[in-house]
Amino acid sequence: MQGSRAAQFDLYKLYARAMYNVALRILNYEEEAEDVLQESFLDAFTRIVDFRQETTFGLWLKQIVINKSINYLRKRKMEFVSTDEVSEVPDEESFDDYDTRLQVEEVRKAITELPDGYRVVLSLYLLEGYDHEEISHILKISENTSRTQYMRAKKKLKSILEQKGMRDE
Amino acid sequence: MNNKLETFVKENRRSFDIMEPTPALWAKIEEKLDQKKEKKPIQLYLWMSVAAAIVVVFGLGWLYAGRMQNGAIEIADVNAVYAKKEVQFAGLIIEKRDSLAIFASANPELYKKFTADLKKLDEEYERLKNELPTSPNQTFVVKAIVKNREIQLQLLKQQLLIINQVDDYKKVNQI
Repeated sequence: MQGSRAAQFDLYKLYARAMYNVALRILNYEEEAEDVLQESFLDAFTRIVDFRQETTFGLWLKQIVINKSINYLRKRKMEFVSTDEVSEVPDEESFDDYDTRLQVEEVRKAITELPDGYRVVLSLYLLEGYDHEEISHILKISENTSRTQYMRAKKKLKSILEQKGMRDE
Repeated sequence: MNNKLETFVKENRRSFDIMEPTPALWAKIEEKLDQKKEKKPIQLYLWMSVAAAIVVVFGLGWLYAGRMQNGAIEIADVNAVYAKKEVQFAGLIIEKRDSLAIFASANPELYKKFTADLKKLDEEYERLKNELPTSPNQTFVVKAIVKNREIQLQLLKQQLLIINQVDDYKKVNQI
C-alpha cells in the first residue's frame, strides 16, 4: 500500500542530506532539524497517495520540510517582522577585497550567526531559491517585509564576514 | 549594490549542504513506520468490536422490549417468509368467501354445510394463534398456521367449484 521499505530507504538516502540542511538552515539546531527530518519523511511516506506528479518528489518533500521547520521556529516565538534589533551596518562596500578568499564554509558559518528572521529569509531566498512572493506565502509576511528583511540580512552577513576576515588576519 | 556574495552563494548552493543527519535517524523513521502499520488494524478491530457490541446491545434490548410489551407474537416475529404467505392466503380467503356468499341465498343448504367446514378450520386457526406465544417450537406452529390457511383456501376453491356447478345445473333444469 505504501511502497516497499527498500524504496522508502532509497528515497531517504537520496534526499535526507539536502532536506536536513534545509531544516538546519531554518532552525539552526541540529536536534530540531533531525526531528523535522524524521516527521517530514514519515509524513511524506504516509501521505504519498496525496503526492501529485505536478512537482518532483524532492520539491514536495522540501515544502513539507520547510513548513515543519517554520512551525518549529514559530513555537520558539520568532516573529517575522521588520525590526531594528540589529544595528544598521555601514553601506560602504568592502566586500570586493574579501571575495577572493571567500569560502563556502565561512559563509555557511556566518549565516548560522544571523538572527532567526534574517537567517530564514536569506536561506529561503539565496539557498532554497524561492522568490520574495513565495517567501511571503511561506512565512505569511508581506512581500515588502521579505525584501527588506533580505536586504538587512545580506548587509548583516557581509559585516559578519568582514569582521571574521579581520579577525583571521 | 554589490552582488558578488549573492552570486557566490547561488552558484555554490549544493556545496552548502555539508551537514549530515545522524545515521541512526533512518532506524527511528523505520520504527515509526512499523508502529503506524501495526496501529491501523488494531484500531480497525477496536472500532469493529465497538460497533458490534452496540448492535448486540440494541438488538437484545429491542427483542426484550418486544417480548415484554406484547405477549402475543406475530408470525412475522418468527419467520418473515411465512408471514408473507399467511397475509397472501388471508387476502385470497376473504375474496373467495365473498364469492361464496353470493351463492348463499340460492343454495342455503349447501352454504350452511360449507361454512360449517370452514368454521372448523377457523377454530383450529385461532387455537394455533393462541398457542404461538408459549410454544417451545414457534416455527412449527407458524408452519401449521400457514398450512391451515392454505387448506382453507383449497377448500374454498373446491366449494366455489361445486357451488358453481350446482348453480349451473339448477339454472339449466329451470329452463
